[in-house]
Amino acid sequence: MAADVRSTRTPGGATGWVEERLHLGPFVNALLHVPIPRDARTFYLGGITLFLFGIQVVTGTLLALYYSPTPDAAYESVLSITSDVSFGWLIRSVHHWAANLMILFMALHVLRIFVQAAYKYPRELTWIVGGGLLLITIGFGFTGYLLPWDQRAYWATVVGTEIAGGVPLIGPSLLLLLRGGAEVSEATLGRFFGIHVLVLPLLLGGLLALHLLFVHQQGLANPRHAEPRPGRPVPARPPERLKPFFPDYILDEVIAWYAVLAVLVILASLFPVGLEPKADPLVTPEHIKPEWYFLAVYQLLKLVPETVGVVAPVALVLVIVVLPLLDRGGEVLPRRRPIAIACAVLLLVGLAVLTYFGAQV
Amino acid sequence: MSEGRPPALEEGGDRTAAGVGGDVAGAGGDEPAVGGFARRRFVRYLLGFSVISSLAMIVTPIVGFLIPSRAATAGAGGRVLVGTVQALPVGSGAIVAVGSKPAVVVNTPGGVKAYSAICTHLGCIVAWDAAATMIICPCHDGRFNPATGAVVSGPPPAPLPPLTTAVEGDEIYIVSG
Repeated sequence: MAADVRSTRTPGGATGWVEERLHLGPFVNALLHVPIPRDARTFYLGGITLFLFGIQVVTGTLLALYYSPTPDAAYESVLSITSDVSFGWLIRSVHHWAANLMILFMALHVLRIFVQAAYKYPRELTWIVGGGLLLITIGFGFTGYLLPWDQRAYWATVVGTEIAGGVPLIGPSLLLLLRGGAEVSEATLGRFFGIHVLVLPLLLGGLLALHLLFVHQQGLANPRHAEPRPGRPVPARPPERLKPFFPDYILDEVIAWYAVLAVLVILASLFPVGLEPKADPLVTPEHIKPEWYFLAVYQLLKLVPETVGVVAPVALVLVIVVLPLLDRGGEVLPRRRPIAIACAVLLLVGLAVLTYFGAQV
Repeated sequence: MSEGRPPALEEGGDRTAAGVGGDVAGAGGDEPAVGGFARRRFVRYLLGFSVISSLAMIVTPIVGFLIPSRAATAGAGGRVLVGTVQALPVGSGAIVAVGSKPAVVVNTPGGVKAYSAICTHLGCIVAWDAAATMIICPCHDGRFNPATGAVVSGPPPAPLPPLTTAVEGDEIYIVSG
């Protein structure tokens, strides 16, 4: 029976040729079937983050073709990419801006999941794996920042690794491990390059596959109703109205990607990324500042003792990662979760204030 | 490929129209079936145009980026001093760098000659063999005539490309570019 159906419905052409041999149809169908409640409002943030990661893979691979990860050659190779290679400035600027947008959209994605309580049962693991993705993405930003080997890159890394060295107990060892020596040097550049182009992409790829698998298995959360749990009474509700993942949701998602691509090209064209003077380990430039997403921690370190300034952000991130294990209430509507929402607002205001003052000279 | 796509698009289109409701569905309902198909084909062409132009927009900078810049492919032009006549008496030869490319310079009884030192067979660098008075490629024993660059024996398919030399006083120059 099944064979009959297949023989009559196998499409012609190249698709048919492959299908006849591999029978991928059911697999592809299963892949394209993700339950999307009509009430779901994702704002396409996760998908946009994924799209930006794809852009990073493409532009990063291209940049790696011309980049030399040694202190003698790194700066000149970046300079050559920017000024000699055709479209080099564009590829490099797109890589820079997509990195920033990826952090931004990831933060918005986390916020969306939090407000809609989509981290609650049964999606705790999706959130925790997502926490890993967030940390890896920040790691990408931190390691990638050093690679141009200009003054800003060098000194931001000196300060950044020094901060990591402030972690109680393991700090000094961590500092040595990150730098590959006592100073930020050739060894540091080699490490950061290897981590940036090999270790983190593999880690991110693996965790991303898990994250997407979980999303695929569970479908999207309905922001209006908690998921029914086994052993608890299921409230009487009309059956969930779904909309097709393919092509409806995918089409909307691709339109969002187009918009982001346009923004990216505009940013890269109007604000191409520059290059400061070559790194000089003997001269610290004035007003050295990290990227915007590290400014809050940077500012915190000016206000509190180093141990507190290092431990507090780490603890905060850990609490956020394991949030689904701490907050196990059944409510999903924001107005019924006043404490959680108040904590989030407080945290956001705190981060915004610290970032604002951190951005001031 | 073409048979797989239309049903998906049609399904999507229909559902979107139904979802949007009112105006789109209404406009479609007033038109005859033939007009509906024409519009669908038009939309499909529009979609194809958008996809192709988007791909072109993405692929153009990538391909441009991959093509090496002129500075990386061009050798240095102008005159390159390769040595003195004293250092290169008649019957001797040497391999010298002209920009980033090697040249073989031989002082033959008929004057100073220079050729590209890249063997026309598989790209190995040839050498001057004073005993055999021949330019010889070490890879597959291709032999070239020092006076003309022509292949004497071996697998090379073409003579070594000649370079222009100039002897000014005591100094030997290769003129290129």
